Amino acid sequence: MNTDVEDLLRDGMERYTADLRAPAGLIGRVTQRRRRRLLLRSATGATAVLAAGAAALAVAVGPGARQGGADTTAYVVKQVDSALSAADPGDIAQMTVTTSGTATPFGTGVSTGAATGAATGAATTTEEWSYGDQWRSVTYSSAGHPVYDEGFSASSVYTLVSYRARTWVRESGLGQPGASLSFSASSGCGLPVGAVAFLFRSGLPGIGKHVGSLPETVARAARAAVSCGTLTVAGHQRVDGVDAIKLTSRADSPISETIWVSPGTYLPLRLVIRSGAGSPPGQLTADISWLAPTAQNLANLTVPIPAGFRKVSLSAAVTPILALIPGVPLPRTFGALVPGLSGLKTFCPAPAGPSATARPTFPAPAVRPPATPRLVFSCPKR
Amino acid sequence: MAAERSTAEFEGFLAERADHLLRTAVLLTGSREAGEDLLQTAVERLLRRWRRFDGDPEGYLRRTLCNLATDGYRRAGRWRQKERLLRGELSLSRDVTGDVDLRDALVRLLWQLPARQRAVLVLRYWDQLTDAETAAVLGCAEGTVRSAASRGLARMRELADEWDDTAASCGRNGKRA
Repeated sequence: MNTDVEDLLRDGMERYTADLRAPAGLIGRVTQRRRRRLLLRSATGATAVLAAGAAALAVAVGPGARQGGADTTAYVVKQVDSALSAADPGDIAQMTVTTSGTATPFGTGVSTGAATGAATGAATTTEEWSYGDQWRSVTYSSAGHPVYDEGFSASSVYTLVSYRARTWVRESGLGQPGASLSFSASSGCGLPVGAVAFLFRSGLPGIGKHVGSLPETVARAARAAVSCGTLTVAGHQRVDGVDAIKLTSRADSPISETIWVSPGTYLPLRLVIRSGAGSPPGQLTADISWLAPTAQNLANLTVPIPAGFRKVSLSAAVTPILALIPGVPLPRTFGALVPGLSGLKTFCPAPAGPSATARPTFPAPAVRPPATPRLVFSCPKR
Repeated sequence: MAAERSTAEFEGFLAERADHLLRTAVLLTGSREAGEDLLQTAVERLLRRWRRFDGDPEGYLRRTLCNLATDGYRRAGRWRQKERLLRGELSLSRDVTGDVDLRDALVRLLWQLPARQRAVLVLRYWDQLTDAETAAVLGCAEGTVRSAASRGLARMRELADEWDDTAASCGRNGKRA
């Protein structure tokens, strides 16, 4: 058997690789890659190591060196985009969101964890996991106790556990494949604010989001953000011991976004979103870990039902949680939600005037919402 | 001191050996995309020192590929690979009663092995290096190579035995060529 297995393995490797050919112009690709790397180094202050032969490539990328800076940003963004593309759904994104300040940076309805904290000004924490179309979020109080735990399974079954009410609900037919964020740098995103904010959209039915659309995964939302051209490279900074590449939003953005990506993997390590000028101070910080889809890590995507908790209807489970969130412009009914536009409301500055205070009513679970159309990211003119 | 090498010489070398090196890289990483990425990184390193490079370029690239692959080159690539492994494992359990050839199953199993074991098996059975040559590439002792190869093959033998058992229980005789 020994020789047999060795021969079979050899044959298998031969057969698996038989059709592989090295790409044409390998040297050209490598040279281009090296050139871009040098440009990145020059942009981030490591110009001292440039070889003499590359001096011509090491264009000044300081203020005013627009072309070089744009190239560098484009390269980093492309790498981040590729890394996130590979990570979705390959990796489980584990995100710990800490909220501080008296308001969320986006008005209301973005993160229920943020919003519940905003009511008191205390910092709150939400821990999230996303993997493909699976998603789970546990929101903790400022004292560190779980408030509620919710998630969508791979089969689009929504589960919500309320720790305060000691209730739980599980509903199918609410979820559908994640809201499509179709961004590309070439098509132009026209974002008034960065798409990173989508990370903090709650999946809680009734909060500024169509009940049938899943929360955006970290990988998809961050990918959308970086491919929109709203971020530029702003040097390096240490994040948890890593000399991370810092990407920041444009100065004229109504929300300040900063993403730190690993220089090795180009996956985001930390996201920070701050209120823009003229808004109440608020900040969301998300520390991201990218986990292998092991059985142990995948188990984090499942919402556990604690013993002794009572099963209730969806509305009975959700409403007490919504009541914790002040000033959320809730839809009158889920059925009345216009898919996509609910997200729009979330991210545009809150309009003047009284906000809706009506609590949502819930459609019969059997009513499946229509497919979420492509979202339009622009604020209405006022 | 060695004479400086020309770019044309480098291109000639790659034209001759790049296909084989790409296959090595793909076997080390488990996917074409990751393999190409790995090869480009290794070629870039060689290109940096090519003009004054004095040695066997293929050996250098092979060593670089293995080092990068075993040192956890690019986390995203690793996750991609792990995902692939997970899928491979799942499909393996499904396909084991189907028509998947044992040879394909063994290659998929290769990607489930630890990086060092995988590199040893690729170098031994794909590049057909001796234990001593493999040890030199990986910078370890020959005994380490032998034990890694032994453990990797043992895992493959288990698979082959399971395969035989399943084939027997399913009435498939002599699926393996």
